[in-house]
Amino acid sequence: MNAIVDSKRRTTEREVIEISIPSSVDLVVLARFTAATVGARAGFDLDEMDDLRLAVDELSISFGPLDGETCLRFEFLREDDTVTVRCTREPMARLSEVHESVERDVINWEQARELSEQLLNELVDAHGQEVTNGRSASWLRKRHCTSPR
Amino acid sequence: MDQTIASGQQRRNPASSTLKMSGELDLAAAPMLQEELEALFTTGAISIFVDLLDATFLDSTALGVLVNALNRCQELGGQLHLIVTDPQILRVLDITGLTDVFSVHSSSDELNPGKEDA
Repeated sequence: MNAIVDSKRRTTEREVIEISIPSSVDLVVLARFTAATVGARAGFDLDEMDDLRLAVDELSISFGPLDGETCLRFEFLREDDTVTVRCTREPMARLSEVHESVERDVINWEQARELSEQLLNELVDAHGQEVTNGRSASWLRKRHCTSPR
Repeated sequence: MDQTIASGQQRRNPASSTLKMSGELDLAAAPMLQEELEALFTTGAISIFVDLLDATFLDSTALGVLVNALNRCQELGGQLHLIVTDPQILRVLDITGLTDVFSVHSSSDELNPGKEDA
């Protein structure tokens, strides 16, 4: 009985998880891991978790190449069966070691953003970009769907 | 996330090359993918078979690299073939409308590169 009550309470509570990633493309995988975990807690099935992982990855792409002076801050908000992710590009409190940004020259960012937009349109229920207090942010919202894909 | 890359040329037809990618193909892996494809073009490849059977993730940056390589292959009179079975990667191709643009195969047995481009 207690287990049922606990389980019910867990799915209805509101959770906020924040992570901040230094300017290293290798670390965006941490945001994907977090997305999968938060998605699981929202009751997402495996396909939905995969979609959320990819969508969160695409959020980071919307800012273009990373540099040594900024970091990406992700806020994951779970409310019942809905996950909202907000990604903000912020100045680093302390400058990290400057890495050569290979992807800056190799990636066609305009093309990547177009593909990203197509993917996000399909993967999540809503997404967008905004500027708050001079800082640009990208966000998405995805709700657990009970009907099959 | 670990990535492994292997490439080679078809002995019967040097204009056809294969590139095997595994792991998560994201912003971190896209430059490596670009570098490997560039190396194949440098050696004269006009058709490339990209084996994604061991790949588990493909984002818009890595996909963009593949699209650029596809365009280059077609300009040279060749084609870029993808060998892929991962449902999530197939979904990415489907969403972006690229399933029919690339030549997509479910296994390397489906095709015979040496004959096709000879």
